[in-house]
Amino acid sequence: MTLDRSDGERAPVSGIAGATAAPVLRTRGLTKRFPGVVAVDAVDLDIEAGRILALLGPNGAGKSTLIQVLAGAHPAGTYDGEIELLGLPYGPSNVAGAVAAGVVLIPQEVNTAPDLTVAQNLSLNDLPTRYGLIDSNEVEAGARRLLAEFEVGVDANARMGSLDLATQQLVTIVRALSKDARVLILDEPTAALTEGEARRLFEHLRRLRARGVAIVFVSHRLTEVFAIADRIVVMRDGRIRGDHQIAETSRKAVVAEMVGTMTEPAPRATAGAPGSVALEVHALSAHDVDDPDRRRVDDVSLTVRRGEIVGLFGLVGAGCGPTATAIFGAWPGHVSGSIRIDGREVHIGTPSDAVAAGIGLMSQDRRQTLVLDQSIADNIALPSLATLTRSGFLDVERREAIGLEYIARLAIRAPSAKSDVGTLSGGNQQKVQVARWLVARSTVLLLDDPTRGVDVGARGEIHRLIRALAGDGKAILLVSSEAQELVEVCDRILIMRSGRLVVDLPAADASESKLLEAAAGQ
Amino acid sequence: MTDLGSSVGSPAGALPDPGESPVSSRGVAARRRLARQVALRNYTLLFVVAAVWVVFQALTGIFLSPRNLTLLALQSSITAMAAISAVMLIVTRNFDISVGSAVALVGVVAAVATSPTKLALDPLVGFALAMIVGIVLGAWNGLWVTRIGVPSFIVTLAGLLYFRGISMIITNGATVSPVPPAMRSFGNDSLGPGLSVAVVLLVFLAFAAFRISTIRRARDLGLLRDVRPVITRSLVPVGVAAAAAVWVAAGQGLPYLVLLLGGAAIAAEILMRRTPYGATLYAIGGNPEAARLAGIDVKKALFRNFLIAGVAYGLIGIALTSRINGAVPGSAGVGLELDAIAAAIIGGTSLAGGRGTIIGALLGAALMGSLNNGMSLMNVPTFYQDTARGVVLLVAVALDVSSRRRR
Repeated sequence: MTLDRSDGERAPVSGIAGATAAPVLRTRGLTKRFPGVVAVDAVDLDIEAGRILALLGPNGAGKSTLIQVLAGAHPAGTYDGEIELLGLPYGPSNVAGAVAAGVVLIPQEVNTAPDLTVAQNLSLNDLPTRYGLIDSNEVEAGARRLLAEFEVGVDANARMGSLDLATQQLVTIVRALSKDARVLILDEPTAALTEGEARRLFEHLRRLRARGVAIVFVSHRLTEVFAIADRIVVMRDGRIRGDHQIAETSRKAVVAEMVGTMTEPAPRATAGAPGSVALEVHALSAHDVDDPDRRRVDDVSLTVRRGEIVGLFGLVGAGCGPTATAIFGAWPGHVSGSIRIDGREVHIGTPSDAVAAGIGLMSQDRRQTLVLDQSIADNIALPSLATLTRSGFLDVERREAIGLEYIARLAIRAPSAKSDVGTLSGGNQQKVQVARWLVARSTVLLLDDPTRGVDVGARGEIHRLIRALAGDGKAILLVSSEAQELVEVCDRILIMRSGRLVVDLPAADASESKLLEAAAGQ
Repeated sequence: MTDLGSSVGSPAGALPDPGESPVSSRGVAARRRLARQVALRNYTLLFVVAAVWVVFQALTGIFLSPRNLTLLALQSSITAMAAISAVMLIVTRNFDISVGSAVALVGVVAAVATSPTKLALDPLVGFALAMIVGIVLGAWNGLWVTRIGVPSFIVTLAGLLYFRGISMIITNGATVSPVPPAMRSFGNDSLGPGLSVAVVLLVFLAFAAFRISTIRRARDLGLLRDVRPVITRSLVPVGVAAAAAVWVAAGQGLPYLVLLLGGAAIAAEILMRRTPYGATLYAIGGNPEAARLAGIDVKKALFRNFLIAGVAYGLIGIALTSRINGAVPGSAGVGLELDAIAAAIIGGTSLAGGRGTIIGALLGAALMGSLNNGMSLMNVPTFYQDTARGVVLLVAVALDVSSRRRR
């Protein structure tokens, strides 16, 4: 490639002929206020056709609000400033209006009808009809065409809920693309995807870019941003702090803009002397709830010592998450095997057995483990209510005091212990989960992808917190979809493939590529 | 395992220090604004009830007399007790539409056991039998919901049909009357004015002592700086209510059923706000999966929830039978389930679960009772009364929904 990178505006990397600087979508002085907060503050942004723009920034930077305004989730009149689409004033009154104008947002959370088929999901909003009735043949045929066009290898008649999260997400994206989108906005599209799936998604995005679609994607993963984006826009505190062509910036500079100051990568875990074995899992198997012959976790045995951080890595479907869920007694299907805590055999049939045995679970899906419209104090105290009493009555004041104590100790950013957990950023919600198990005095912590969807700054904080927990003698089993995270944080890494434990790697020998190879079975 | 305070102190050293105070000035302002909004929301219903009372007083001239207010309280007491039970269930996303039929069945048992024309047992034995039957019915509903997994709406819809059916079978559809004088007196008479005033004052003093001790404790734990304004804000409204209650009680005393309602309300409020069990119910309603993953035995908690509804069946069944001097299996308690749910919803209980207060349910029941009572004083036909109550329910929920959306 002999392109002059500095001239990237006129001749973008993608090499679109005729792509001009004229933006598809442009905002001028866009400001969106919520009670007490200016979420987006006087943003001027030009989004160009045939280019991929990565929107970065810490949680609470205003990225989500900005893309929601563009996608019509906040109707015109609830924000200030102007937006133009193809040179004309643009102010959709709802999401459907934005879609009709060609601006489509793919939300972070997969949003599908799990009991309908893939084909039905794909045509949900404009079902083909014959004589006023649904033409189910055309529904299926149309779906096959779309799936083939975007090379998504899924059976059009499969029930949506039977697919894994990543595939469901690809179907959602295909559904959006089927609507002739001019501007495609993706909110953390890779959060649930494995690296291979993410690569496939990026191929789709490049193809769309070549067709002249303007693509905006929000991500926290810098590696993928630098792999795919043409341009990086960094937001912080509602404003744009940096706007660079990809060739003119670096990871370090972008991180600095996001965090406000340069941060050092978190130091590797110091190999302290691990204590006694706290968690001993023997021959654990977890059967699929719909298909009892299929073992999602197959004869897994592992130990975690006090003060030790053991990583569990595998591709989507390898059984890492189900292993944690099964240890915690929350797996819906049949589970066999035995579990010892501090050398004592425990029977764990339900999560309440696990909590009583001293095990805590931090789930990747915070909406699953937190009561979002209850306060921080209420959420922290939830597993410890039985101990939080005074002469048989709930000690409401102590509950709030504990909330305040942990807000200070874990630096949870919140106005008070009475704030609803749902108003906190992802990283702070994770800290609430940590606080919960500290108060419950759990000895074993199962962390299922604790940094999924949290920003770079909070990620570092959570890593430091995990190490501090280990330093306090907790035994930690850390499940993560990010190989790099495990290499940075863990003392030992276990790798799973198709439900079985295949490799046990000391941290000193681990590297990102080794993990990926072992997980893929190469 | 009980002293959490010292245990949580240990990991402090190794955990990171807080970088900055989490309480920013912007946060404080937002918090104050939110507190004001919440306070306003809590009082909205109170203002509506007060406005309705003033209007009826202006229209009738006698609405706000101690005599009429006593009658209003007596008339509302049964709906209010059912509303308390409804709140506790709706908070966990469950419905009980069998309550009207269940109290009819309990009433039949109480009447058959005690009526001089039937078994003529001692009234206390009748009370005990009625309570046992009530709790068994609650446990029966609870078993189907928690063990078999049938949605509570369906379980109690079935109960609505067969509880009443069984009441009719037992008496062959006939009214069982009268009940012994002691029961009749319990349902219709009042505690003397002097004793009633004493009860009100005692309850107020106990409440004040409790609030002051909890507020002081909050200060000692560093949650509050200045206790005096908080104590004032907390005690003045309750003091006004207590003064009004004294004024009413001094007239003719308080009906026994109103005292029963008061006791039930206080017990329910303590259970919901000041016990681990109450906190568990709110968590289950807010997010059942989160409650389960926090180690809460959701099924056990829900089963107990239905047991408590069973206690309510017992109390309400006895109250109703005492008040109407017999059991009328065909009509006793008909529509009670809907009045109870309506009162709970008007009182701010969220159908989505996780939110709802006992005091709200009481105010909701008071509002509906006031509309009935006031319109009856004005000789408005009952058809209009039903219409008015329906409109109030719709408007109350609409206001609630729109105020939540704005938040």
